[in-house]
Amino acid sequence: MKNKLLLLALICCAYLNAQDTVKVATNLSPDQQAELDYNNGLAALTKKEFLPAVDLFTKCLAVKPTFDKALSNRAIAYVQLKNTDAAIADINAALKINASADTYFNKALIFMNLNKKDSQNVALDNCLKQNPNHAEANYYKGLSNYEVGDYDKAIDCYSKSISTNPNYVYAYNDRASAKRAKKDYPGAITDYEKAIIIDSKLTFVHNNLGSCYRLNKNYDKAVAAYTKALETDQNYLTALINRGAANFDNGKLPAAQNDFEAVLKKDPQNSFAYNNLASIAIKSKDYKKAKDLAGKAIDLDAKNGPAYYNRGIARQMLREEEASCADWKKAVELGLENAKLFVSTNCD
Amino acid sequence: MKKNYITLFITLVCFYSKAQSIEFEKDNFPGKKEEMKAARKQLDVGIEFYMQGRREFDDFQKQFLSTNKHYPISNHDYRLSGIANFNDAIAPLNTAQAFNPKNARVNYILGFIGFVKDPNNPQTLTYMETSYQLNAKVEEDITYWLAWLYQLNSKWDQAIAKYNEFLTVKKCNAKEQEDITKKIAECTNGKNFSANPVRVFVDNLGPNINSYFPEYGPAITADEETITYTARRDNTTGGKKDDGDNKFFEDVYVSNKQGGKWQPAKLLSKNVNTESHDAVAGISSDGSKLFIYRDMAKDGGDVYETTLFGNDWEVPVKLNKNINTKYHENTVSLSFDGRQLYFISNKENGSLGGSDIYVCELDVKGEWGPAKNLGPEINTKYSEEGVFMHPDGKTMYFSSKGHNSMGGYDVYKSTFENGKWSKPENLGYPINGPDDDVFFVIAGSGYRGYFASAKQGGYGDQDIYKITFLGPEKQPMLNGQDQLIAAIASPVSNLKTETALEIKTAKLTILKGVITDAKNNQPLEASIDLVDNDRNQVIATFKSNSNSGKYLVTLPSGKNYGIAVKRDGYLFHSENFNLPDNADYQEFNKDVALKKIEVGSVIVLKNIFFDFDKATIRPESANELERLIKLLNDNPTIKIELGSHTDSKGSDEYNLKLSDNRSKSVVDYLIGKGISAARLVAKGYGETKPIDTNETDSGRQNNRRTEFKITEK
Repeated sequence: MKNKLLLLALICCAYLNAQDTVKVATNLSPDQQAELDYNNGLAALTKKEFLPAVDLFTKCLAVKPTFDKALSNRAIAYVQLKNTDAAIADINAALKINASADTYFNKALIFMNLNKKDSQNVALDNCLKQNPNHAEANYYKGLSNYEVGDYDKAIDCYSKSISTNPNYVYAYNDRASAKRAKKDYPGAITDYEKAIIIDSKLTFVHNNLGSCYRLNKNYDKAVAAYTKALETDQNYLTALINRGAANFDNGKLPAAQNDFEAVLKKDPQNSFAYNNLASIAIKSKDYKKAKDLAGKAIDLDAKNGPAYYNRGIARQMLREEEASCADWKKAVELGLENAKLFVSTNCD
Repeated sequence: MKKNYITLFITLVCFYSKAQSIEFEKDNFPGKKEEMKAARKQLDVGIEFYMQGRREFDDFQKQFLSTNKHYPISNHDYRLSGIANFNDAIAPLNTAQAFNPKNARVNYILGFIGFVKDPNNPQTLTYMETSYQLNAKVEEDITYWLAWLYQLNSKWDQAIAKYNEFLTVKKCNAKEQEDITKKIAECTNGKNFSANPVRVFVDNLGPNINSYFPEYGPAITADEETITYTARRDNTTGGKKDDGDNKFFEDVYVSNKQGGKWQPAKLLSKNVNTESHDAVAGISSDGSKLFIYRDMAKDGGDVYETTLFGNDWEVPVKLNKNINTKYHENTVSLSFDGRQLYFISNKENGSLGGSDIYVCELDVKGEWGPAKNLGPEINTKYSEEGVFMHPDGKTMYFSSKGHNSMGGYDVYKSTFENGKWSKPENLGYPINGPDDDVFFVIAGSGYRGYFASAKQGGYGDQDIYKITFLGPEKQPMLNGQDQLIAAIASPVSNLKTETALEIKTAKLTILKGVITDAKNNQPLEASIDLVDNDRNQVIATFKSNSNSGKYLVTLPSGKNYGIAVKRDGYLFHSENFNLPDNADYQEFNKDVALKKIEVGSVIVLKNIFFDFDKATIRPESANELERLIKLLNDNPTIKIELGSHTDSKGSDEYNLKLSDNRSKSVVDYLIGKGISAARLVAKGYGETKPIDTNETDSGRQNNRRTEFKITEK
């Protein structure tokens, strides 16, 4: 899933940074033909016709072997065709001819697609040396810092990106997320709201805003934001799950139940919805039901840690102590630190 | 309007016809003259017995007031006074009540007898309530007993209302006012505690521990592997019953856990169990010492100590006069290091009222010194009971009728910090209730407690129960998702943080294991010195069991401890434990194989410490060196090599020199203490003989060591 989305991001950015088209005369000289091939290659790349794009860029480069833009764009097409060696060779060749910020940036995206973080960062740094105000490079540098938990640096990078491109909606969203990670909820809310002003159709930003309100214990606003997310995309089940969770936190268990059940109507295999219904059953002290619902969540997703956690609680109250400890130990295995306390205090 | 008057009239008629007491008079039972006569006769017989019992009861109450300067706090304080006559009254009164259930007096008497005999029986409260409804003035004190029964049934608001009503009905003297005021406060406490119950599981320990007969007074070892308790079963030693209550004499039973389950309890031998009362008064954390309560003639009840030797307990020895007096001494509890003994006594001298908790310190001769009252922070003008000192060395559990009790004894917790006891904390409902809650002990881990109760659903009479503390309600964890990164839709779980358990983890380490002979693996009895390395003092000495070789030592956190295992004819074995103050409850299993004193035997002296990178012996090594000196003095023919080793950090040459200097320092120390130089050889090995990896901190720590080897004997 993550790889697919990375690829998507890469394509989007590649189009943003694909080298400019060249003006071509009517009576074509070989050089002019090469430039026409370049333009057609770019058009093919835009239409995601990657093989024709590679062919056209190759034809162009046969005539103009030092045409850095053609090399750079062919590299992008190679990336889509998963020929990364060829992509890196092209991008390095392009950089030898012209070490431009955009080419470094494309190189960074190629390494990002290959999940080579160090190389990605070197390329981004080189890009920013060429152009410290490169909005996308600063954005991805921010992302890189975010991923390693250096939220201060991430915020700084996102801010630079925004100062270059004040409409960079992703940078607002991600800066908000970095602020949220630092528990600066008011700051995060402000940024999410700015992102929504720029593009009110971005469902996930409404959802993120809702979650930030939820973390800030402002459940009514959280529910409103999740509802807005659902208005922009009624099939965005994430917001429905989260709205149910906000209702749950707010003590509105019937509303929460409605949301989780609505998720199951649209997606009967939704493990999260089953586990969240189990949470309601625990709150209602219906431990048998909670055990069954959490069990269903686990059947659907064996890596659903909170479901093990909840089933452990239900089983403890049903006096199935050994089974509850087994569930909590599994939850710990799945990375739920909170379950460690239960294991240490309840299990021999 | 007219219709309303009719309704009101009918209501009043119904009320009076329902609420009026019906006397045993022939006019009230037309056509039942003979039956009424018979019932009346039974009533007279019953009342006669009741009146005799009531006189005994009232006399007891007066005597109690005179002795204690307050009215009884618990219904058990009345000690079933008048019970023989009350028992004789029940059958005829029941016959009369069956004939005429609407007589206020007969219901009052049956309710009153129920209060004395069986206050938790719902019928008892029903009798008293019925009597009150039939005639609220049938007896002047009916409101008082009804209030108390409401309290014992946890009907807090009704109890408070009736106590207040009693204050208006009767012109109370100061002592009565004090009594009612306390009981109202108890009900208020009960109401508050019941509204916020402590989350616990309460489990009967099952048929291997409990029976049809009464079981109570549990005492457990710190690791919850052994339980001793008192029972009054038909297999009691001598098979006799106590004339006082017609129950079998008390005996002491023991059960061990195997595979997590309690094994069938066994009656202790006749060394411990006599033909009279023998009850558990306490047990040491390691289970090697048991305290027995015996009620011999004219001694008011005293405490005896017995030690486990092999598989049997030795004949109990009475604790000295600093503990046992002519008054009543019962439960005792040893501190983790065995140097303090907490006990209960109702002696008058130094008392703050009723039974109090006292503590004695072990003196230099190994005798218990003078008893000291724990003072007003713990002891109240009312009685304290059932003291239990947790092996963490600072937390005390006890029962008291004072403080913020819900009625009778409640269990409290207090911690000794900065030289004083903290304000006792009521353990709350349902651990405590309106009845007596006493003899509560808690496991070393702090997660489970044990107590006795006559609650319904048991095997009969009082049973032993286990309480598992669940802490605050565990909050469920919801799944949620956010797309926090716009460019990478990265789902992350939105987790809700769980709050910590309210029950604090006991800051305690339990060290246990088996001591054996290194050659033949036979279990050994050996002594174990527990040393406070910071103070350089042996703070306690324990013994492993002669039959099983098992031992258990409790080490409260916050100290640097050393232990030394010793036995004549064997080399000693030492270990070192640094337990920071935040070290949680943990159990270590450490089996020790002692080596015989023979040529070639080598031991590591784990409690010899040097200054960093120097050969200067640190003061906390003194105890280990003293043991070495004693070994050499006790075995004057042996010659030893003292070898010092380093880890691989630093150059070979440097390490060799450092180890050589360190071994010489130890030899010089021994010579300075009178050991002949001819018996000692110092040898530095540097990093040449590692016993562990040098790649890790713990491995390097093991490699840095001082050993001695017997070279001649």
